[in-house]
Amino acid sequence: MRKATKVASSRRSTKRSTNGQTASETTPTEAAVKNASSTLSNGTEPPASPVDRYARPNAVHYAPTISRGVFARGQESELQQTMVMVLAGGQGERLYPLTKDRAKPAVPFGAHYRIIDFALSNCINSGMRRILVLTQYKSFSLQRHIQATWSLFNAVLGEYIDVIPPQQRNVKRWYQGTADAIFQNIYMLEQERPRFVVILGGDHIYKMDYAKMLDFHLRHDADLTISCTTVSREEAKRLGVAGTDETGRITRFVEKPKDPPTIPGSPNESYASMGVYIFSTDILVRRVIEDVKQDTEHDFGKNIIPRMVRDKDRVFAYPFVDENKTDNHHNGEVYWRDIGTMASYYDVNMDLVSGSPAFNLYDDEWPIHRRSQPGPPAKTLCHGTDRLAIVHDSLLATGAIVSGSSVVRSILGPRCFIHSWADVEDSILFDDVEVGRHCRIRRAIIDKHVKIPAGTVIGHDLEADRQRFTVTPEGVVVIPKGMVLK
Amino acid sequence: MAQKTILIVEDNQNQRALYAEELSDEGYNVLTAADGREALATVKDNRPDLVILDINMPVMDGLDTLSQLLEYDKQIKVIINTAYASYQDSFTSWSADAYVVKSSDLSTLKSTVQNLLNDSAS
Repeated sequence: MRKATKVASSRRSTKRSTNGQTASETTPTEAAVKNASSTLSNGTEPPASPVDRYARPNAVHYAPTISRGVFARGQESELQQTMVMVLAGGQGERLYPLTKDRAKPAVPFGAHYRIIDFALSNCINSGMRRILVLTQYKSFSLQRHIQATWSLFNAVLGEYIDVIPPQQRNVKRWYQGTADAIFQNIYMLEQERPRFVVILGGDHIYKMDYAKMLDFHLRHDADLTISCTTVSREEAKRLGVAGTDETGRITRFVEKPKDPPTIPGSPNESYASMGVYIFSTDILVRRVIEDVKQDTEHDFGKNIIPRMVRDKDRVFAYPFVDENKTDNHHNGEVYWRDIGTMASYYDVNMDLVSGSPAFNLYDDEWPIHRRSQPGPPAKTLCHGTDRLAIVHDSLLATGAIVSGSSVVRSILGPRCFIHSWADVEDSILFDDVEVGRHCRIRRAIIDKHVKIPAGTVIGHDLEADRQRFTVTPEGVVVIPKGMVLK
Repeated sequence: MAQKTILIVEDNQNQRALYAEELSDEGYNVLTAADGREALATVKDNRPDLVILDINMPVMDGLDTLSQLLEYDKQIKVIINTAYASYQDSFTSWSADAYVVKSSDLSTLKSTVQNLLNDSAS
């Protein structure tokens, strides 16, 4: 501050003297030097320059953008003061070998999506366009996907999506837990100074309007709001569970409880945390700093939230409002799926091929954005009566070809090629999988760039399959990316 | 009670000497460092109970030093001691246990030191 004034005053003097108004007997340069180092002859400070009144570098906290101009004109929007941090740093071990070469949020899903596209589409559809994706393990594939798919943002409007690996800015270690990931990115919060931070995982399939949750957060003057879905007490035993009072304020928070707290007035149900949080920024920063100084697992569910509840912070449960509009819901159940295991990954994919999927990909009011790749349309071919293409209850991505073969209840990724007399059922094929003639494949997940030689049988004899592939406890055969088969 | 060790990190030689003298008089064992890097080296070898940290320093400033200090020792108490109140807005400064704005009267600093060391003893 003091320094800025000094520079400004020397600039003022220079300008005046070069105008020749005060320096009649000295050269402009001499006058400038003289004036820069002294006050006026009567000993007072020279008057301020008009520029001091409107250009004040020390009042600028961040790079100005057009949307902030809107904000400054009084059209205040909490959305503009909100930053999203997507935690995409987990190892995803339970999805191995699909996570052999990629982070879990980057695992392909539903023919041409990746798992993270659902959470990011929620952000866009909620009007949140300041997004940091925090990565850690095997982040290349995820980073590339986001760059290729999500470069929709306009920096001039103050929007961004940035992928941030551990920078080791303040500490020399990898992220030790979800809370540590936020601690290590405090600098990013400091640069942006959002009032609110939305924290979510990149590995759930659901549709949610985070703006509605933000309204709830404001209405309750909360320090932290946790989105919760109603589950049976039995199911609650494997989740993070919130016990609340009648107003929705959380009075107890426990991970995987043996005796889960129930919802007031509903003795057989509990509120399970969906891992979607809205924090008021100051509280978030204080709580993660406090946590990082202790020997904990640095985890929101296990450490930060229970501590906040104990210390009487204003922590509220937000009852999840499902934006998945469909007639295929059973008993008004909401759609929120954790892709935590290979079984859930397989089931959630298979839901999409059914005639009445529970998850609606066809709602233009809640589009799921994905990478669009160039390529020809999907194609089916018959070559005479004994080489018909039979395709039903399946999803086919761009460039897939089914030539004289049968594809039933399956998902074909971009440019898959199924040759004559082959038979693919109940399977998920990623990009560029080629299935040779006379192959018989059922209940398999085949990762990218695998060429299945003619006549191969997969999924019909699990004992034989276990000799060379991963087979899940549910009997799904998984073939890793690029595996070479004979 | 064992004698507590305080590390003073301050680039201004006169102030450093002043703080050292005043705190020695209070009965503390005093170490000094002229910048952040020197401070980190001292912390590694000597494990002080408390660090008094200036912010504006050459080589490595106080805020950078603070983050790294916590990695060596999460329990170490830190007092930011700076001429500027404005660094309180920096989230990084929130990692410190106390923030004292420099003054010719050292009583605030001394009482903060005492409180923090008593807390850690209890």
